Amino acid sequence: MQPARGIAPRAGTSPPEADLPILSFILKRVIQAGFVLVAVTLFVSFAIRLTGDPAVMMLRESANVTPEDLARIREGLGLNRPFLVQYGDFIGGLLTGELGNSFFRGAIAPLISGALGATLLLALTSLAVSLLISVPLGIYAATHRGSFGDQLVRVLSLAGLSFPNFWLGIMLVLIFSVTLRWLPPSGFTGPQSLIMPAVTIGVILTSTNLRIVRTTMLDVLSSQFIMVARAKGLSQTAVIYKHALRNSSIALVTYLGLQFGSLMGGLVVVELVFNWPGMGTLAIEAIAQRDYPILQTVISILAVLIVAVNLLVDLTYMLLDPRIRLE
Amino acid sequence: MTDLKSRLLIAALAATTALTAAPALAEGTLTVAQRQDPANWDPVDTFLVAWGSVASNIYDGLVRRDENLDLQPGLAESWEVLDEGMRIRFKLREGVQFHNGEPFNAEAVKYTFDRLLGEVGGAGPQQSNYTTIYRVEVVDATTVDFHMAQPDPVILTKLSGYGAMIVPPQYIEENGQEHFDMNPVGTGPFKFVSYEQGARIELEANAEYFEGAPELHGLVFRFIREDATRLAELQSGGVDLVTDVAFSAVPTIEAADNAGIVAVAGPSIYSLALKTKDAVTEDVRVRRALNMAVDKQALIDAFLAGRGSPIASLQGELSFGHDPELEGYPFDPQQAMALLEEAGVAPGTEMTIDYRAGNSTFNEVAQALTGFFAAVGLNVGLNPVEDGVFLNEIVPQGRTNEMYQFSWGGWTFDFDNTAYLTYHEGEKWNPYGTSDEMNALLDEQRQSPDQELREEILQKVAQLAHEEAYHIPLYNEETVYAVADRVEGFVPAPDKRLRLTDVSVAE
Repeated sequence: MQPARGIAPRAGTSPPEADLPILSFILKRVIQAGFVLVAVTLFVSFAIRLTGDPAVMMLRESANVTPEDLARIREGLGLNRPFLVQYGDFIGGLLTGELGNSFFRGAIAPLISGALGATLLLALTSLAVSLLISVPLGIYAATHRGSFGDQLVRVLSLAGLSFPNFWLGIMLVLIFSVTLRWLPPSGFTGPQSLIMPAVTIGVILTSTNLRIVRTTMLDVLSSQFIMVARAKGLSQTAVIYKHALRNSSIALVTYLGLQFGSLMGGLVVVELVFNWPGMGTLAIEAIAQRDYPILQTVISILAVLIVAVNLLVDLTYMLLDPRIRLE
Repeated sequence: MTDLKSRLLIAALAATTALTAAPALAEGTLTVAQRQDPANWDPVDTFLVAWGSVASNIYDGLVRRDENLDLQPGLAESWEVLDEGMRIRFKLREGVQFHNGEPFNAEAVKYTFDRLLGEVGGAGPQQSNYTTIYRVEVVDATTVDFHMAQPDPVILTKLSGYGAMIVPPQYIEENGQEHFDMNPVGTGPFKFVSYEQGARIELEANAEYFEGAPELHGLVFRFIREDATRLAELQSGGVDLVTDVAFSAVPTIEAADNAGIVAVAGPSIYSLALKTKDAVTEDVRVRRALNMAVDKQALIDAFLAGRGSPIASLQGELSFGHDPELEGYPFDPQQAMALLEEAGVAPGTEMTIDYRAGNSTFNEVAQALTGFFAAVGLNVGLNPVEDGVFLNEIVPQGRTNEMYQFSWGGWTFDFDNTAYLTYHEGEKWNPYGTSDEMNALLDEQRQSPDQELREEILQKVAQLAHEEAYHIPLYNEETVYAVADRVEGFVPAPDKRLRLTDVSVAE
């Protein structure tokens, strides 16, 4: 019997002080996350200030701009203060939940809460769509290796991987909104608005997840403990769903954790196509206007999310495989 | 212009005949899709056309420009320019109320301009347009005097502009600036109902509007960033009117069974500016040759679906200062090559065009331009630059290559707006300088209240710029709208402000 793949270094004896291993692990990770977030926010705040001046952006269509006009606007926006003071204000706001005001769009907190809700709704629905399709199909392909069904699943997943998501999104709109008029092409007006964006992202996720499930399933199915389980006379269903699936899900969970970052990136494009009122749309507007406060906040929150998801992935390992001890 | 008017008329007729069976209902709601959410409805905080298209329905100024760009009375019934342009007296309309019931009067006018020219306006982009106003004095409840710091020949036009929209003093004082940003109140034909950032703003008809209630009951603006998505909404019946239509989409809409195109001459001009210092384009012969290498009409036909006109200076026909006599350089590659040879520019010489990467039409135009330049023996490369970097770092700092995009939409339709910015010493769009003669001309017209003299000087400016070939003026774009067949009476104004009082929809 071999330890689960990819996480071998974590398997080992418990450290002596590990009376509450999970708590101390979480604490350690939270402290690490703190450092990561300071680095991310510092870098982001610094870098976006190199990309252009919001005062110039604001006056770009004005004909008679004097240096005094620019100075006056910079002062109004608080941009003439030293960088570290501005950064300190921003971090203080993040910690106390006082997100302050955007340069152009009023209070940030309601903007973020609306957008974050919309993005998470879309991300989780896509993920659910993807898992509901990829896990059963992946198992089917693995247990019917080499069959016509297996070939078909593999071809379809390759095809799904090859679609650029913006193209797929536009095609769905053309078919289901413009031609058939079944679904609203954009915005969020109800559950039916969720279908096309979730499928667009879901298709890409499904294609990769399917391949992971199939491969790891094949691997696990050929391992000794499965043979033992079969030798004991367990039914095929019990072997697959009780033993094989659980052992192969570690790879899938790891992959989902890693995928989360790129999922957020992919969402930006899909949100744009479907005019989805999420974090991606908010970020794109903010970049175009050099709206530092919104951009900093959006990126920081996405960074927190990604760190949190990865922590969750580590904790999930323990549930899936009790032999794994966290360090 | 006549051609344009007749085209509009045909479009309007086509829309009407398609709907003669259905009676015009005053109860309908019109939904507009536009690219951008201005995200702030305070007149002093914006410069965005996306603001003007929505807020022109909510606010009024003292004066207003009609669809022929002529000034009409707005909240002022009449006005008089006194003391050689140093004072303007406005007689205000009586009995007008803001949407919240607050009365409109001379105090509201004074409050609006004190606010615009004071601290609140100072943090926004509009103040700089109105600095020639020294102060506003209340003479009586229906009379105000504008005292000028210096005569401003364009001030009346500017008073129809965004920053000069009249705002309700009591409402702002009671609820605060931030509330006003998100909950606009004006005197206009439509009242604010609700606003969902990034998604939509909803308005309803103001039954008490001083020029009569609008034909629509409701007006909704949806903000949809992606071009293809806006058109998909139109085709699937989710919206009735789409702004910012890409030229490449014009044939699709023309072929659609439920919508059509309405276009109007706009303020936007496109050109390539030429680097007049430390570059091969320093030589005026080279700049003239580059002008002769380009077939402007071909660009318009290929990339603007024919919806534009070639220009000889940085303005369209509607602009004050436009000279119909001024002819652009002819498209003459032979002559261009001869000039290049005379200037000692060897075949294969390399040059680069910097341009704003965000505009898909100009991206195509820029690629075609390299072809025209190649035909006269030049090896021209492309350098697409992100908007912010282009506007902040490249142009004002004088870090451009030999050619760089200059596109402008002077909303005043007065050549002063564009010419000063591009030819006067020290201006953002003039990083390499022009000449003392040019500076003097520009200053002279700016200080003159005599419009005839101004027009003459502005024409001289255009002539001089043409001779020096500071730019390759390319074309003046039409503004294209995609309109559902159920919409009636839509006549767009050239300044892109969508005032939808006379529009109705068939159910």
